[in-house]
Amino acid sequence: MKILVAVKPTFDIGQLKFEKDGTPLLDACPVSLGEADRCALEEAMRIKERLGATVAAATVGSSEAHYKAIRDSYAMGADEGYLVKADDPWKLDALSVASAIARVAAATGPYDLVLTGSGAGDTHASVIGPMIAGILGIPLIAGVDRLEVRGPGVVAGTCKLEDGSYTYEARTPAVVTVTSEANAPRIPNLRAILRSKGMQIREMSAEELGVDLRRLEPLSVRKYEIKRKRIIYKAEDQKGAAEASAELLAALRSEGVLS
Amino acid sequence: MRVLAYADNRSWAAQLASAADALGGDAAVFVPGRELADDAAKLYSEVFFSGLGPFEPVSYSAAFSEAARSFKPDLALLPCTNKGRSIAGLYSSAAGIRSATDVISLSARAGDSSITVRRLVYGGRAEAEFLMSAPAAICVVQGSYPERGPRGGPGQVHEVPAPDPASSVDFKPKRREGAQPEEAEVVVVAGRGIRSKEDLELVKGLARALGGAWSVTRPLAADQGWADSWVGISGLVVSPKLYIGVGVSGQPHHMMGARGSKIIVAINKDPGAPIFEECDYGIVGDLYAVVPELLKLLGGKGGDR
Repeated sequence: MKILVAVKPTFDIGQLKFEKDGTPLLDACPVSLGEADRCALEEAMRIKERLGATVAAATVGSSEAHYKAIRDSYAMGADEGYLVKADDPWKLDALSVASAIARVAAATGPYDLVLTGSGAGDTHASVIGPMIAGILGIPLIAGVDRLEVRGPGVVAGTCKLEDGSYTYEARTPAVVTVTSEANAPRIPNLRAILRSKGMQIREMSAEELGVDLRRLEPLSVRKYEIKRKRIIYKAEDQKGAAEASAELLAALRSEGVLS
Repeated sequence: MRVLAYADNRSWAAQLASAADALGGDAAVFVPGRELADDAAKLYSEVFFSGLGPFEPVSYSAAFSEAARSFKPDLALLPCTNKGRSIAGLYSSAAGIRSATDVISLSARAGDSSITVRRLVYGGRAEAEFLMSAPAAICVVQGSYPERGPRGGPGQVHEVPAPDPASSVDFKPKRREGAQPEEAEVVVVAGRGIRSKEDLELVKGLARALGGAWSVTRPLAADQGWADSWVGISGLVVSPKLYIGVGVSGQPHHMMGARGSKIIVAINKDPGAPIFEECDYGIVGDLYAVVPELLKLLGGKGGDR
């Protein structure tokens, strides 16, 4: 079995700071292999350990964080790593990234499974997996909490969606996107980390893959200004709690949200 | 601008009808089942429906694409939900067009094929403005546009043949006990300040007293297993009149699911919790002291409905 995992470095948006004028300070924001992508890698490793598989990781972008994302994938147990070179990767549009991954899959496959995180911690657009499936014309199981290989060429995944739980069963090849609830990804030991540093990363260019990488240039990016009243009551003890509660309910009644 | 919306319930049909109004031009909608078609025909001049089974992204997207081939939209508008994102990704890759998710407003210039799109980025901590040219697929955040009322005469209804699913589906609908957070006017959410599953009763009691629904944040559902679903960007996006976060710290991914609320109330003992930056009213105090007081004050009405 052959599995490709599409990964990307993700900004830790909880730690994102802004200039006074609201410009995000991305350069100062920590960036690392995304949580859901690590869960996708973990699923691949579990399949590899149970059934035997070759696992490849692929990313699109030439920043240091992108190389590190592949090395971190190696440390978790990936056998092969592909990096599609692209400057200014954060501005690539989703369809370009998905097309590049699909081309990597075609050039280095065939793969039985293409896995990726169901949504990146920073953008959370959740469209890359569906786009890869659309381009390759293969089944898609999106947002799985539980992934299972049910037999040769059959994969199943259970997803929690807005209105309930869905279990899908598809023939491979298929694209499966994995949520950050699916598992607790392994933390590589020192030996695995050291070994990962010596492993080659196969670089590929957009030209050699025949893919046109387009960027989406924002007109502006600003801190999201939250326009809320921020009226705060303090309740230091039980009496304070009673007073604050009464004040809150009175305020909510005058807002007309409480009858 | 010609707009084709995708809606799998009445509320989304009405919200996306408002969004399409803002862009001007003809608007049609695709709905995945016959039962929604008549309601949708009160909102749109044309309705496409397909007798599809439980949600399966590839066949849903193929049916939507079929409706698009017939209507030839400049813009596809979809709900920014898990399902909407999947359909948007499949549809835009099949059509070779760009997509944008987490969009909170759209505007078009008359006689121009470009659209200005405002979208949330970095887990909702920032917003970015983009100029996109049609055709494109856009996922709109819940609550960004109000639900529109019916228009004049009923629109034309067309059936689109249902494509075969790419995967077999076993669907278990969510238990619908009591009020649902997506529909309720009041939503009370429990966060990590709640110490045990039993203590969730406090939050459920408050929701009952207010005639609303309860939910939790992601750690309580995904890590503790105390609930089936949660409010947040990866779960439910709610837009009630009143949201009350009980012991909720206000992580960006959670708040993105609550921002459409008219009034946000926070109860948390940590005055530094980010939710206090994003609330209309807040009580800095121990939820175990505050919630019982609220229940006492509300006690007169609706405690045991």
